[in-house]
Amino acid sequence: MKTTLYIERDSFVHRLHPTAKVFGLFVVFWSIYWVDNPLALMPLALIVLAIALMMGAWENVYRFRWFFILIIVPTMLTWMLFYRVGKPLITLPPFYVSEASLMFGFGRGLKVGALVLASVLFLSGTKVEELAVGLSRLGLPYRLGFTITLAFRLVPLFMESALTVVDAQRLRGYDFDAGGPFERIRRYVPVVVPVFMGALRKANNMAMALEARGFGRTHRPTSFIEYRMHPRDAAAFAFLLALGAVSFWIYYSGLGAIPTG
Amino acid sequence: MTELRLMWRNTRMVVLCAISAALYAAVLVPFKVVPLIPGVTELRPANAIPIVCSFLFGPAAAWGSAIGNMIGDFFGGVSPGDLFGFFANLFYGFIPYKIWEIISRGEGPVIRSPWIAVKYFAACLAASVLCADFVGWGDNLLALRPFSLLGNVIIFNNMASAMLLSPFILAAVYPRVRRGRMLYEELMPEIKPAPMPRKTLGLALLVAGEVGAWITGNLLSTGYWTPGFLPAWMAAAPYDKSVAMIVSPFMLLAVVGLCLM
Amino acid sequence: MPDVKAQTPDIEPVDTAVEEAIAVEGLSFAYRDAARAALSEVSFAQSAGEMIGVMGASGAGKSTLAKCLNRIIPELEGGEFRGIVRISGRPTAGARVYEIAPKVGMVFQDFESQLFSTSVAHEVAFALEQIGMSREEMLRRIGPALEAVGLAGFEERDPTSLSGGQKQRLAIAAVLALRPRIIVLDEPTTDLDPEGRAEVFALIRKLREQGLSLVVIEHEAEELRRCDRLVLLSEGSIIADGPPPSIMTRMEMLENSGVHPPGLNSLLHLLGIGGHARSIEHAEAEIRKRFPGVPSAPPAETPANEAVRASRGKAAANQPPGALIRVENVSFSYPGGPRVLDGADLAISAGEFVAIIGQNGSGKTTLAKLVIGLLKPDSGRITIDGRDRSTLHAAATAREIGYVFQNPDHQIFAATVEDEVAFGPRNFGLDPQEIERRCAEVLHAVGLENERKSDPFLLSKGQRQRLAVASVLVLRPKVLILDEPTTGLDYREQRRMMKLVAELNESGVAIVMITHTPWLVAEYARRVVLMHAGRKIFDDGVREFFGHDAMLAESSFRAPEVTALSRRFGTVALTAEEMAAWLREHCG
Repeated sequence: MKTTLYIERDSFVHRLHPTAKVFGLFVVFWSIYWVDNPLALMPLALIVLAIALMMGAWENVYRFRWFFILIIVPTMLTWMLFYRVGKPLITLPPFYVSEASLMFGFGRGLKVGALVLASVLFLSGTKVEELAVGLSRLGLPYRLGFTITLAFRLVPLFMESALTVVDAQRLRGYDFDAGGPFERIRRYVPVVVPVFMGALRKANNMAMALEARGFGRTHRPTSFIEYRMHPRDAAAFAFLLALGAVSFWIYYSGLGAIPTG
Repeated sequence: MTELRLMWRNTRMVVLCAISAALYAAVLVPFKVVPLIPGVTELRPANAIPIVCSFLFGPAAAWGSAIGNMIGDFFGGVSPGDLFGFFANLFYGFIPYKIWEIISRGEGPVIRSPWIAVKYFAACLAASVLCADFVGWGDNLLALRPFSLLGNVIIFNNMASAMLLSPFILAAVYPRVRRGRMLYEELMPEIKPAPMPRKTLGLALLVAGEVGAWITGNLLSTGYWTPGFLPAWMAAAPYDKSVAMIVSPFMLLAVVGLCLM
Repeated sequence: MPDVKAQTPDIEPVDTAVEEAIAVEGLSFAYRDAARAALSEVSFAQSAGEMIGVMGASGAGKSTLAKCLNRIIPELEGGEFRGIVRISGRPTAGARVYEIAPKVGMVFQDFESQLFSTSVAHEVAFALEQIGMSREEMLRRIGPALEAVGLAGFEERDPTSLSGGQKQRLAIAAVLALRPRIIVLDEPTTDLDPEGRAEVFALIRKLREQGLSLVVIEHEAEELRRCDRLVLLSEGSIIADGPPPSIMTRMEMLENSGVHPPGLNSLLHLLGIGGHARSIEHAEAEIRKRFPGVPSAPPAETPANEAVRASRGKAAANQPPGALIRVENVSFSYPGGPRVLDGADLAISAGEFVAIIGQNGSGKTTLAKLVIGLLKPDSGRITIDGRDRSTLHAAATAREIGYVFQNPDHQIFAATVEDEVAFGPRNFGLDPQEIERRCAEVLHAVGLENERKSDPFLLSKGQRQRLAVASVLVLRPKVLILDEPTTGLDYREQRRMMKLVAELNESGVAIVMITHTPWLVAEYARRVVLMHAGRKIFDDGVREFFGHDAMLAESSFRAPEVTALSRRFGTVALTAEEMAAWLREHCG
C-alpha cells in the first residue's frame, strides 16, 4: 500500500540534490506567501503546475483534483465571512460580498491550492530517505531522521494488519457500520486493540535487532547515502533565488496586494 | 521537558516513537479521503492514538504524534502551516501525560470513577486546546485561514475521539503495557520529575496561556473585537498582524508553562 | 587508501591462538516478576568453527540463552543475571550490546522487525554506519555480504518487496557486514515457508564452510542433523549436550522435552535397529541389512508429464454431488495485480479432512478468502450449500464456514478469554444462556477451561492459537478453514493443535487446512488438494498423493522422510509406525 506520493521517474526534479529540493519547496512557499492578488498569484501557480507536468507528476495532480476544488471553494467562502472590507456589492448574510472580499477570498483559495500543489510536486519527486538527508543537512538530528523513515516504513505494515483485523472481526459477525456517528467511532476498539498489541510485540523485537546491529553506539553515525551537487543544482538554486526575489519585489512594490478601495 | 531530549538515547523509546507515529498515520491516512470540512481538517478517529500513546509512552508519544501527523500531511499534501502542525501535534502528545503526572495521584489513566473521568477529560481538553491554538495561530499568522475556523474544528474533533474512543482503547491496553514493563516511567527511570510547586505553576501558566489564546484568537479573527490600542493598519482584516500582536504572548505563556512542567 | 583498522576500532583480527568461541559458565537468568528462572546454571563451550544446534520446547530458555550471548540480556531485558559469558576468551560482563555486535552477530525469528532501511544496500550498510565506518569501506563490504547470501544484484530493491526467505537472508547479510566470527540464529526459519527455510538452511551450511562459529536455535530436529553438536534445553537447564547421534537417538527424551524426533530415527527405533540415520539412503541401507527381503521400488513407468496431466483431468472431475462448498471455474486478481486464481475448482463435502497445499502465491489463501466471502471472484461461481455466494455477505455464512486466520493476534482484543469467545455469538444476537453454554463447551474442547478469566495476551502462542479456534468454533460451523494453524508453534503445541482439529473432524466438522508442513498432511489429512499457478492440479487421497512420484517432484512439496523412504520399498507409509508395521508384515 502506498503511503507517499512518490512517483518513480527520471526527471530533472527527481535528479536534483535533496537539499535543492527542500530549498525549492521553501522558496515556492515563500514566493506564494508574499503575494495576495489572484492576478499576481496566477503566474506563480502556473509555473508550479508546469513543473509538475514536466516532471511527470500529473497522476498525482489528477488524483487531487477534487481536493483542490474542495480546498479553494470553502477557503474562499470562509474568508468572505471574515474579511469585511470594501463596499458590499450585494447583501447575502452571513457572507460579506464586496469586490475586495471576492478578490481576497479567491486569492486565499488560490494561495492554499498553490501551496498544496507545490507540496504535491515536491512529494512526487522526493523519496523519504532523500527528505531525511535534505533535512539532516539543515541540522535535523540523526535519530529523529531515522525515526521518521522507520515510521514511514511501518505505516503500510500496520494498515495491512488493520485490514486483516477488520476481516477477522467481520467474520465474527461484527458490524462496523451499526449505530450513529458517535457510536461508530467507538466501534474501532476491536480493530485498534489487536493492531496496537501487535505493534508492541514488534517494538521489543525491533529494539533488540537495532542494538544487535550497533545502534546506540553513537548519535552521529557515518552515512552510506551520499548525494553530490551537480551544475544543475546550481542552476536550480539560481532560478529559485530569482523567483523568491521577484515575488518579494511584487509584494514590496504593492503589485501583489488587494486593492481595498 | 528534558525528557523530550533524553528519550533519544534510549533505543526502546526511539522504536516506540516510530511505532506511535506509524499507528497514528496508519489510521490517519485512510481518513484523508473523507474530509469533515473539506480542506480544513478531517473527522479523525486517529486523534485518539496520540492520547493513548501519550499516557503509555510519554515523550516518545509526543514526538510520535508530531511525526505521525507529518506522515499524514505527506499523503495529503503539505503547506507552510504544517510546520505549526508539527509542534501542535508534539504538544498534543506531550500534554496529556504531563498533566496526568500532576493531577492523577499515581492512578493509571483507566477510567474507574466519575472523578477520574473528569480529570482524564480535563487533561485531554488541555491538550486539544493548545493543539488547536497552535494550528489556528499559525495559519492566521500566515493569513491562510482564520484562527476561529480551524481552531474550533480541531478542538471538537480531538475531543470527540478523546472522549469516545481513547478511554476504551486505554482500558484494554494500559494494564497490558504496564505488565509488559513498556510504560515510559519504567523505560526511562532517569527522568527526574520537577518539584510539585513548579509543576503546578507550569500547569497554571499553560491553562492561562491556552485559554487566553483561544479567547483572543476567536474574538480577533471573527472581527468581534478590534483592539483600539493597535494602529488601524494592524487591526484590519485578515487580522494576521493583530493575531501576531495579541495571541502570540499567550502562546508564549503556554509554552513557558509546559517547560516548567 | 584509507586505513581500515583505524576506522573500525571494534573489529579485531581473529586471535587464532584462542580456540574457544563462546564459553558460558553457570549462567542463570530470571525475568523480573517471573515465577521461575528462565535459565538455571547453564554451562557450555563452543570452539571456533563449530556449529551448535540448540533445541527445546517454547519456554525452555533457548531465546533467553541467545540473548545472553550478545548482552541483550541483561542490558535491554532486566532481571536477575548470574554467571559468566566469554566471547573469544574475553568476559562480556559490563559490555554494551553495541560493543558485542561486531563480535557476535544475531539474527532473529521475526524478519520484518529486523529491516529498517529503504534499500537492500542501505540495509547492509546500516550496522556499518553505526560503527562509524567510511563510505569507501562500506562499499567494499556490501558487495561480498550480499554475494554471500545470494542477494547480489538486489542492491537497489526495497526490502519490503522481498520474499520471506530473501528478507531473512538480507537480515543475515546485514549482520555479516560487520564480519563477526560468531553468528547466533534464533529460530531463523520458524516464520518461513518451505522454500524460504531451504534457502536459509543452505546459507547456514555455506557460512559454516567458511569457518564461522554458529549457534542455531531450532525446534525441528531434522534440520539440525548437520550440526557438530546439539544442546537440548528443558525448563532452563541443559539436559543433554553431545554430537547429533548421541542426542537424536534418544526418542523419549526428545519427545518429553517437546522436540520433534527425526522420523527416520523413530523408524529405526521402532524396528529395534536403533542408531542415528544420517540420511534417507543411510536408513534404507540399515533396514535392508535387517530385512533382506524388502522389495525395491520399480522406477516410475509413466513419464512424469503424462501422469501429471492424467491426474489433472481427475482433479477437475472430483466434484461430488451434495457438496457443502462448491467452487467452479473461479478466477480472481487483486486490483492492478496478476491473476492469482485462474479457473479454480473445489468441492468440500460434510465431514471431510482436506489439506490444501502449494507454493506461496499459488492461490491457497485467496481461494479460502473467496469461499468465506472476504473477496469476490472476477468470474466463475461459488455456492455454499446450494446458495450463490455472491448473494451472501461474509458474516451471513460465518456460522456455516469458520475461518481461523494464520495469526491469532489478528483477532484477539477482549479482556478475558471468555469474553473473546463470546464476542462472535453476541454479535449474532444469541441469548446469554446459550452463549454461556457454548463458551463452556468450546473452551473445554480446546483445553482452555481453566483460563476462562485469564487475559488472552498472557497466554502462550499455542494457547492463543487454540483460543482463536475456539472463538470461531463457538459459532458451530459445519466447515472449519484453518490457514497454517501450526505456524510458529513448537512440536508439542503443534501436536496439541492437530489433536484438537482431528477431534473436531471426528465430531463431524469438515476441516480444510492450508499448510506447508509435510508431516501434518501425511498424518492428519485424508484428501490433498495441490494448487499451482492459480488452479488445482491434484485432488485425491493422501496416499495417492504421496504415491504419485511425478506429481510430488513437480510440486516441490517434500514428502516426510519416512514416506520418501517407503517409496524406495515400493509402498506408501505415512508415519514411522505404519512403515514399521508394513516391514514386519511383509518382510519380517
